[in-house]
Amino acid sequence: MKHLLNDMNPSFKFVIVTLSMIVMAFFFNPWTPLIFCCGIVLLQILFSQTNWKLWLVCMLPFAFGAFGYLWTTIVFGRASSGTIIWSSGFFDITDQQLNLALSLSFRVLAFSVLSLMFAFTTAPVKFVMSLMQQMKLSPKLAYSVLVGYHFLPLIKDEFVQIKQVHEMRNVAVKNSRWLRLTSIYGMLIPTLASSVRKAESAAFAMEARGFTGEPRTSYFRPIRIKPRDYWLSLLFSALLAASCIIGVLLEK
Amino acid sequence: MLKDWKLKEIVLMSLFGVVFGIVYLVFIHFGNIWAGIIGPIAYEWMFGIWFIVSIISMYIIRKPGAAVLPETLAALIEVLLGNAVGPRLILSGLVQGLGAEAAFAATRYRHFNLAILMLAGAGSAVFSFIYGYFISGYAALDPSFVAFMFTLRVLSGMVIAGMGGKYIADGLLATGSLRGYAISRSGKGDAGA
Repeated sequence: MKHLLNDMNPSFKFVIVTLSMIVMAFFFNPWTPLIFCCGIVLLQILFSQTNWKLWLVCMLPFAFGAFGYLWTTIVFGRASSGTIIWSSGFFDITDQQLNLALSLSFRVLAFSVLSLMFAFTTAPVKFVMSLMQQMKLSPKLAYSVLVGYHFLPLIKDEFVQIKQVHEMRNVAVKNSRWLRLTSIYGMLIPTLASSVRKAESAAFAMEARGFTGEPRTSYFRPIRIKPRDYWLSLLFSALLAASCIIGVLLEK
Repeated sequence: MLKDWKLKEIVLMSLFGVVFGIVYLVFIHFGNIWAGIIGPIAYEWMFGIWFIVSIISMYIIRKPGAAVLPETLAALIEVLLGNAVGPRLILSGLVQGLGAEAAFAATRYRHFNLAILMLAGAGSAVFSFIYGYFISGYAALDPSFVAFMFTLRVLSGMVIAGMGGKYIADGLLATGSLRGYAISRSGKGDAGA
């Protein structure tokens, strides 16, 4: 039970998560995203093992963003009717406006919770493999993405190295934040140049080992669809439907 | 679409996706903290950063798809790295890439001068704004405020993605590592311009 979400087929999860986000965009009441948000967290508590401390750290910047949405929608919201519940010298807040503002910021939170659920329960390599096997992503693209993904630590190391070289040669002694921003260019070019070389040698190595990029019929590591994928998809859809219906009913 | 692509071009595209995926993520967090203070408008002036990989890779590879694919791949890499924007990034990457691709397709992939690159940046901005209007519910905001956001985003797409992208790609060309790609074969870098 504790691994159900981790074992779910990544393509199924991806489609469900994306569909839920699109459906949520049609609802402008605060309850739908709030209920959905809580439901997803509950499912994650029940069916996965999550490092909740890390989860909170990841949520933090998005909570900030949601707060920005809240007050922007209150201040710059479309002028609406409804009873005024609070007013300052510059603007009046009606209950409709507050509802709308809350719904948009809860939507930001719901999207973040959903995304973190996906990120915390999906193994990256399995996701790409599943995209290739279930969603018919071209093997040429899929394996190239995996090559790129595996170069990630190398690129990171190189970036640090370039920075150190710059420091050693006194290139990057810039004090103001603005000047430091412009020095990104000096770091980006060498990083990109070396990734061009890496791409060339990786592609050459792949071709030398007989990689043609033709679609395959069998895989070394097959990712299968099991009955639990359908059950979990049904569960997510039920949660989505319930939060939509309850949200609309509660608003009336 | 991938038939006449060389494997090294595809791998290059995904490595660009990796590098810019990291850059994009850094700026998303930067933007989020700003957005807490000044609201969603925080993203608008720097939105062009998120279109830049389309421009750079199309300018270098010059094949149909070289704008929409790397943007989508960069988004996929961002998802693989794990973050709280999540799978919907792939959709928004696709939309942004299509915007740039539309501009290049309209000029039939013949010209790659600054004006076209800036047009592509604007194309990404327009497409992504339509998508954002829907998904983030801008309909709830005052129309004049939305118009202001739109103008900022298009300008950012033209300046940061269009001009900035060309600047970076030209800098990369000068290092000599792009031998063997379409950008070097076109002489001065501006094919047919």
